[in-house]
Amino acid sequence: MTTVSDIGATGSNPVPAGPVGVSHDRRGSWIPTGGMIATRFMELRKRRGLMVALILVTVGIPAVFLVIRLLLHAFAPHSYGPAGGYDIFTGLVAGVLYVFGFIVAATLGATAGSVDLTEGMFRHLVVTGRSRLAIYVARIPAGLAIIVPLVAVGFTIVCAVCVFAAPTQLSFNGVNLPVNLSRAGLETWAADHADEVICNFGFSIGPSSSNPSSIAAAVNSVPCANGPGSPVNIQQSPGSPGQPQPSQAQIRKAARLIAGMNYSDYTRQFLYPSNLLMVKSGLWLELEALIGFVVGLGLGSLIGQRTVAVILMIVLEVVLTPILSRARIPHLSNLQRAVVGLATAHLAPGGLPVLGGGGGGPGGGMGNPRLLPESTTVAVCVIVAWLVGWTILGAWRMMTRDA
Amino acid sequence: MTTTTPPAPSDEQSAQSRWAVETHGLTKRFGDNVAVNDVELLVPRGCAFGYLGPNGAGKTTLIRVLLGLTHADAGTMSLLGHPVPRHRDKALARVGAIVDEPRFHGHLSGRQNLRILAAAREPAARDRIGPSLERVGIAHRADDKVAKYSMGMRQRLGVAACLIGDPQLLILDEPMNGLDPAGMQDMREMILSLVAEGRTVVLSSHLLDEVERTCDAVAIVDRGNVIRQGSISELLAGSSLVLQVDCSEPDRARALLDATSVKGDIAVEPLGLGITLPAGTQRDVNAEINRVLVEGGIAVYRLQEIQTSLESWFLQVTSRLGAPE
Repeated sequence: MTTVSDIGATGSNPVPAGPVGVSHDRRGSWIPTGGMIATRFMELRKRRGLMVALILVTVGIPAVFLVIRLLLHAFAPHSYGPAGGYDIFTGLVAGVLYVFGFIVAATLGATAGSVDLTEGMFRHLVVTGRSRLAIYVARIPAGLAIIVPLVAVGFTIVCAVCVFAAPTQLSFNGVNLPVNLSRAGLETWAADHADEVICNFGFSIGPSSSNPSSIAAAVNSVPCANGPGSPVNIQQSPGSPGQPQPSQAQIRKAARLIAGMNYSDYTRQFLYPSNLLMVKSGLWLELEALIGFVVGLGLGSLIGQRTVAVILMIVLEVVLTPILSRARIPHLSNLQRAVVGLATAHLAPGGLPVLGGGGGGPGGGMGNPRLLPESTTVAVCVIVAWLVGWTILGAWRMMTRDA
Repeated sequence: MTTTTPPAPSDEQSAQSRWAVETHGLTKRFGDNVAVNDVELLVPRGCAFGYLGPNGAGKTTLIRVLLGLTHADAGTMSLLGHPVPRHRDKALARVGAIVDEPRFHGHLSGRQNLRILAAAREPAARDRIGPSLERVGIAHRADDKVAKYSMGMRQRLGVAACLIGDPQLLILDEPMNGLDPAGMQDMREMILSLVAEGRTVVLSSHLLDEVERTCDAVAIVDRGNVIRQGSISELLAGSSLVLQVDCSEPDRARALLDATSVKGDIAVEPLGLGITLPAGTQRDVNAEINRVLVEGGIAVYRLQEIQTSLESWFLQVTSRLGAPE
């Protein structure tokens, strides 16, 4: 082999290897600079197709749904109920924003995790000498800066319409009645509307009820077109056929009693969502979006391909999670509890239906008997494990991948 | 067991390093295929250095190993005096590189792509975006989306991406790809101007003519092995010499020369003789050949040394590879 002779520059002296900007920019640090985060945000935000899709799903779907309801109610108020209200709120939050928020966040994450590789920029970034971990970490705040406000905007629209276009009267078992009544107030109102209460409210008269035969006689004396309120569960004979008709006072008393039986359910009926429920629901949706983004980012980085990662995330959210959250599979229940969708469902605010309907009950997901039981601690641990685990996996792949 | 990491060379130490690139025993395997085989490479600072080899010789793989895009299986290396991968952050801070075809985010403009790369470098890099775009001649298209760029424009943008780091060392992998003749001329001039500024440019290419025009020194690589390296003039000095003789009666002229002590391969050609003389042949031999022919009654119309090009030398060298020793 020949040797290299002393070849000098053809022009001036070599550029001095000075410390210009090198020792001060902490290039080997895993902490990304503000500029890295800002430019990553710009790169994602400039993806017009992706942004349109994200806005359409997180903001467009609930907005269009609510606008249609507003218009229908405006033009035909007797045929179409108010656009907003408590039920609409819970349905949109749990049925639309929760599921689609996760999917769009996962899509954004998978995009952020894979496009540098597929579009050839990863190599340029590595050649800068910047820590690969810092390049990965920069994507997290950048992506969240997009998805969190989007979810917030969609949710705010839902909240605004559901509060300001809520019904003016509460409909309970088909009966319009005032809101925020105390037990005594509801009983008094029931006494004044005894026929409606007896015909529409559910009740159960047992041996423990005081004077059950007279109540049963009062109930049976009301000529309901649809029959007395169901389910009727009279466990004691109402009395002989020759028994005299109940007085108006007895009917009012029976209505009071039935109203008392329904008070617990009545207190869970609202015209519009409370501030606390809205705050909790908003935070819950943002948590779901955070999980979707971080998991999508990790999966996209791990696979190095966006489409497959997005499909896997959709399958997880739409197919696997509902099945594994409800099925009782012997010997696999602990594995099922490791599904992040089950964990987030358990953290759902009280009053929200979860996982495509099922009724969260007062305790939210925790109160849903159809979900596989899981403690709050376990749910939180599962969520943290998913966030940390996928971040480690994605970062590891990025640090070890050939560029 | 505790291990200690050697301290990073100081800036002064790295500045004193004579070599911009230094590798020892560098090896990279892909399964059974050895893409880079025990490479000893020394690239002096402040020159244009050609890394020359046919397709599949392992040029790009070596560059990828040097830049930390893939790991080496064995050997040591340093860039600008900084050992890599241990101190790759310091080493790459003043290195710019294009590897393979330069690709960028197509939905962003050239300037926006450079902003992303500048953000990963030191803060001053952002101020160099404009001048870099000017220098490579695409400032007027800097705000167009890269998806609309031609291959040549992406090459230029790739060079601009290198320049925003104010590099002491540029590693350009096939930078002439996709360029039209004018673009190649511009690129050649830019490389020379960068060298004139004291930067080191490593040019990987299979275009021998370009390397010969641009570079001061070359390394020839084939099948993962560096088989020669040195200045072009030194390398060519070790190659054979071809003498073209236009004369009358070529057959008799060959017979006359065969009877003398002239060592070389003599081929009869339509207009005369083609004589390939071994490396190191003195010019006196040319006069001797002329004298023998003239004294033998042969009319000599023209006698010309054919300058050995890097290309012919390259073919000579690489054709010996794989042949029995």
